[in-house]
Amino acid sequence: MKEKHKIVLLFSLVFFHLVLISIQVPRGERPTILEKAVFAVFTPIGHGVVSISQKINSLWHRYFYLRHVQAQNQRLREELFSLRQENLLLQRALAEFRAAEEVQRSLAHLSLSVIVASVIGVDSGQVYKSVILNRGRLDGMKEDMVVLDRQGRLIGRVVEPVTQRQSRVQLITDEDCGVGVLTERHRVVGVLEGDSKGKCRIKYILKTNRDVQVGEEVLTSGYDGIYPSGIPVGRIVAISEDTSIFKKIEVEPYFDFSDLDRVAVVAPTVHRQE
Amino acid sequence: MLKRSYVSQLIIGLLLALLIFSLLGKISPFLVMILNPFTWIVLYFSLVRHEVFGAVTGTICGLLQDTFSLGVFGVAGLTKTLLGFGAGLVSRKINVLPPGRNFVFVLVMAAIELVLWKAMVMFLFGEGLGIGGGWLLLQPLTTALVVTISFQAMGRKEEEVA
Repeated sequence: MKEKHKIVLLFSLVFFHLVLISIQVPRGERPTILEKAVFAVFTPIGHGVVSISQKINSLWHRYFYLRHVQAQNQRLREELFSLRQENLLLQRALAEFRAAEEVQRSLAHLSLSVIVASVIGVDSGQVYKSVILNRGRLDGMKEDMVVLDRQGRLIGRVVEPVTQRQSRVQLITDEDCGVGVLTERHRVVGVLEGDSKGKCRIKYILKTNRDVQVGEEVLTSGYDGIYPSGIPVGRIVAISEDTSIFKKIEVEPYFDFSDLDRVAVVAPTVHRQE
Repeated sequence: MLKRSYVSQLIIGLLLALLIFSLLGKISPFLVMILNPFTWIVLYFSLVRHEVFGAVTGTICGLLQDTFSLGVFGVAGLTKTLLGFGAGLVSRKINVLPPGRNFVFVLVMAAIELVLWKAMVMFLFGEGLGIGGGWLLLQPLTTALVVTISFQAMGRKEEEVA
C-alpha cells in the first residue's frame, strides 16, 4: 500500500473514533447502538469463560465429594444468601416504622426478588467505575436495580446496556454516581459520589453543620428514588474544609472490591413505595 | 495466502485476549489494570505486519476494550489505533527485532499509549489522575515482557519451520 493511502486510512480511523466520541460527549445516559451491539456480541465470551471455569471447578469437587450433597449444599447456600439479603432489607424497612399498621403496609410492598450474580468483567484501567455481571434480562435484570455484596452493603446499581445474559453495574466509587445518603447518628442528608480511586465523598453538607463526625456510618436515604433507604454504604474517614461553603467529607465504602465474586441484585419494587 | 494466515492469527489472538481478560477479571479486578491483553495483540501485530494492520488491529482491540468499560465508547479505540499505526511505522523503519531493543521499544510504546489514554480519559471525564494505587503504572512493563517473549518465541518457531 502506498504511503499516501496509509495516511488516508489512519486519518479515516481517527476521524471515525472522533465522531464516535463526539456523539457521546457530553455523555448521555444511553450507550450508542454500536456499543450495545459490540457489548451484546462479545460479553457472552466472558460469560462462557466463567461458566466453563465454574463447571470445571464443580466437576473437580464432585470427584472428591458426594455428588448429591455437593449439589444440595450449593443450592442451600444460594438460598441462604438470597434469604439473608431479603432478611436484611426487611429488617431495615421494619426499623423505620414504629406503628404496626405502617409495618404491614410496608411489608406489602416488599415483594422482593433477589438475583444472585457473579462478576465476569471489570473496567480495565478504571476498576472503580463499573463491573459486568453474568445475569441479564432473561434472569430478570433491569436498569436501576440495586446491587449489594454478601453482607448486604451497597455496591452500585445496574445501568445500560443490559443484554439477555449480561448487565453492567455502576459502582458507588464512580465519579458520576450519585447516591442519596444520610449519617447514622444525626441523620444529616447529603449526596454521595465516588472519586474513581476507591473512595467516596459526601457533597452538599454545609460547613456550619457540626453534627457530622469522623467514624460515623453512612446509610442510603432513599430520597434519590433508586436506592432503598437504610442500606449501609460506608464510614466517614475524614472531614475537611476549603474555600467552598460545603464540607469535604471522605467516606470509605464498606464493600470489598476483591470480594465481588458473588453479589445480590435487588428488584426496585422494594423502595418504590407510593 | 499470507494475509489470510495473519487474519486467522488475529482472530485467534482476539479470542485469546477476550478469554484472558475475562479470566483476569474473575481472578482479581486489579489484574486487569496490570495486564492488558488487548495492547499485547496490537503491539504484536504492529511489529509483525506494520502500520496498516497495526492500526486496524488497534481499532478492533480498542473498541473491544471500550465495551468492558463504563465511559465514552471509542477512547481506547482511538489510542490503540494510534499505537498500532505508530508502532508499526517505527518498527518498519528501525530494526526492533533483537530482544533487548524489542523490550525497550514495546515498553516505550505501551507507556505512550497509557499516557495518551489517561490524558483523554482525564480530558473527557474531567477526572484526576487515577492510577489505581500505582498498579496501572506496571501495565507497560508487563506488556513489554509478554510481547517480547511471545515475539521471540514466534520468531524462533518460524525459523524452525523454515
